[in-house]
Amino acid sequence: MSTKLDDNLRAVFAGIADFLIPEALGMPSASQVDVHGELADRILGLRPDLREDFMRGLKAAEGKSSEEAAQELNKSDPAALTAIGLVASAGYYMTSKVRELIGYKGQESRPEADPDATPEYVANGMLQQVIDRGAIFKPTPR
Amino acid sequence: MPSVKKSPKVADVLIIGAGASGSIAAKHLAENGFDVVCLEQGGKVDNSEFWGDKPEWELMSQKRWHPNPNVRDLENDYPVDTSESDVNPLMYNAVGGSTILFAAHWQRFMPSDFRVKTLDGVADDWPITYEDLLPFYEEVDIEMGVSGLGGDPAYPPGKDFPLPPLPIGKIGMKAAEGMNKLGWHWWPGPNAIPSKPYDGRNQCVRRGACLTGCPDRAKASMDHTHWPKALAAGATLITGARVREITVNDEGLASGAIYIDRNGREREQKANVVIMCANGIGTPRLLLLSNTGRDSGGLANSTGLVGKNLMMHPYAAVSGKFDEPLESWLGPAGQTIHSMQWYETDASRGFVRGAKWNVMPSGGPLGMRAAYGGKALEDSWGENLHRNTKKVFGRSFEWGIIAEDLPDETNTVTIDPSLTDSDGIPAPKLTYKNSENTERLIDFHLEKAQEAMAAAGAIETSATRLMRDCGWHLMGTARMGNDPKTSVVNQYGQSHDVPNLYIYDGSVFVTSSGFNPTGTITAIALRSVKNLIANRRNQKVAA
Repeated sequence: MSTKLDDNLRAVFAGIADFLIPEALGMPSASQVDVHGELADRILGLRPDLREDFMRGLKAAEGKSSEEAAQELNKSDPAALTAIGLVASAGYYMTSKVRELIGYKGQESRPEADPDATPEYVANGMLQQVIDRGAIFKPTPR
Repeated sequence: MPSVKKSPKVADVLIIGAGASGSIAAKHLAENGFDVVCLEQGGKVDNSEFWGDKPEWELMSQKRWHPNPNVRDLENDYPVDTSESDVNPLMYNAVGGSTILFAAHWQRFMPSDFRVKTLDGVADDWPITYEDLLPFYEEVDIEMGVSGLGGDPAYPPGKDFPLPPLPIGKIGMKAAEGMNKLGWHWWPGPNAIPSKPYDGRNQCVRRGACLTGCPDRAKASMDHTHWPKALAAGATLITGARVREITVNDEGLASGAIYIDRNGREREQKANVVIMCANGIGTPRLLLLSNTGRDSGGLANSTGLVGKNLMMHPYAAVSGKFDEPLESWLGPAGQTIHSMQWYETDASRGFVRGAKWNVMPSGGPLGMRAAYGGKALEDSWGENLHRNTKKVFGRSFEWGIIAEDLPDETNTVTIDPSLTDSDGIPAPKLTYKNSENTERLIDFHLEKAQEAMAAAGAIETSATRLMRDCGWHLMGTARMGNDPKTSVVNQYGQSHDVPNLYIYDGSVFVTSSGFNPTGTITAIALRSVKNLIANRRNQKVAA
């Protein structure tokens, strides 16, 4: 099976990706952040294990509407739809535009400025309540 | 079969596996003048290989850095037949072993864990007590650089941790508020992750990516905490060395190991003493493959207990959604708080033993999208994708429940009759089923965790009864004990059958506790290796 993502299959992917991730609720669609462009190539390059299922799904979807293709794949070849959905959603949530909209900067570096500072749960007495409830372990029997 | 190329060098001690226990052994032996060789089937991992600081992190977590070796499918992994196991084993094969990918929850067992038979009438007591192990717990805390807060009422008094606790974040605070409303125990969780720069490692910068490798060289994986010191003291570390057999001389003493290097050549490393540190699956696999081959009872196995009593800690969870942003992706991951409220046995509950709970970060948005093939599309996609992401992402966290599973001889590691690794060495097969006690324990804890979530203000909760990919903790398959008829090794990991063969990994556990075991594995390894060093002149060795 050919594993090349040509323009035709790229368009098929964009269509299914937009069915799965539409423009709605203030969020862009998958193709509006270009998941079917270089992002798809990058993801398939990093995850070659997805390629076979992904390509098989797209080839099966050729000539069908995006919704019809997705619904059929979901019933007949869920592994293919899972691969298509993963490439679409991985690319989608990797984009800075989408991350900004959901308030996620990624796994950013945010070190504690003063690691020796008294923690809030100590300062406000929350932990003292635990201490006041006393020991909860059974000692070693003698 | 290719000829065996013998190394001229006879090591004082040969260590099989460069993970948690092997690293402790290598460092202390080398620093005490022993000529140490360690064989590790994996390679050295560089922190720049990790994806936790990059946008592709979650994508790569699902394959290349997945903790299940059957999913990763790398050459340095060996496959495991899990067709008859309720739980998948998780591990990593490299210098540092599974500490490369562990969450670094640095827990001690509680005193009752060592006296389960006496207190609860089940399983067996350990040949050691909490008090025996306490000085070694405290010493490894310093070697690892553990961050935590002393005074936890779930434990007897002891020394404080070497580093202050890590921030518990909004999710830890939210969970703690709920526990206080109920009058239940919680405490900031100890982690082998430095809250300040420590011993050549950097301060944790709070990425929630610990389970896929720390890109910031902060987390205490053994490749950073112990191997630089072991190598500086003269230890020899041979990577890409896949052991297929522990060799035995005419006297029945261990004489070394035969391994296959990455050029496919079979080599032999001779040694006076052999220490197995290949984890609770790898160690019994090799012992069962040794001595007289696949059809024998295996090495150090006069009891027939090698490979039996596998324990893997079934893991359940309750997830809660909140109507406020909690930044629940923020690390470390790592635990924020833990609870032992329901840890000790109460016979009125209908089961014995208990579980430790922990709160951890929830990961990124992609993780929420996993495994939806075959379900109704409208449930997970379309507008609902955006709706669910807005509703849940950053606003939910989980109480994880580590259930103590009791030893059962029908839960086993055996040699698979057909599956092999990439060098043709027979692979292990797991047979593992939850007991009725475990099922009742999980039901009880899930109910209590849902109460805890509701008290914390969750607007919605959901329970996961058993996470299949949860077998991080591999224990019990070569148990320790005083009686050579009912145990494989003594309290110092020395084989009852083969006096110059030792086991230091989680295989030696008598019971599993309900805790992440690496703190106890390393404390036991430290206690054992110090005993070996102190008694070096009395050690029987292969001639």
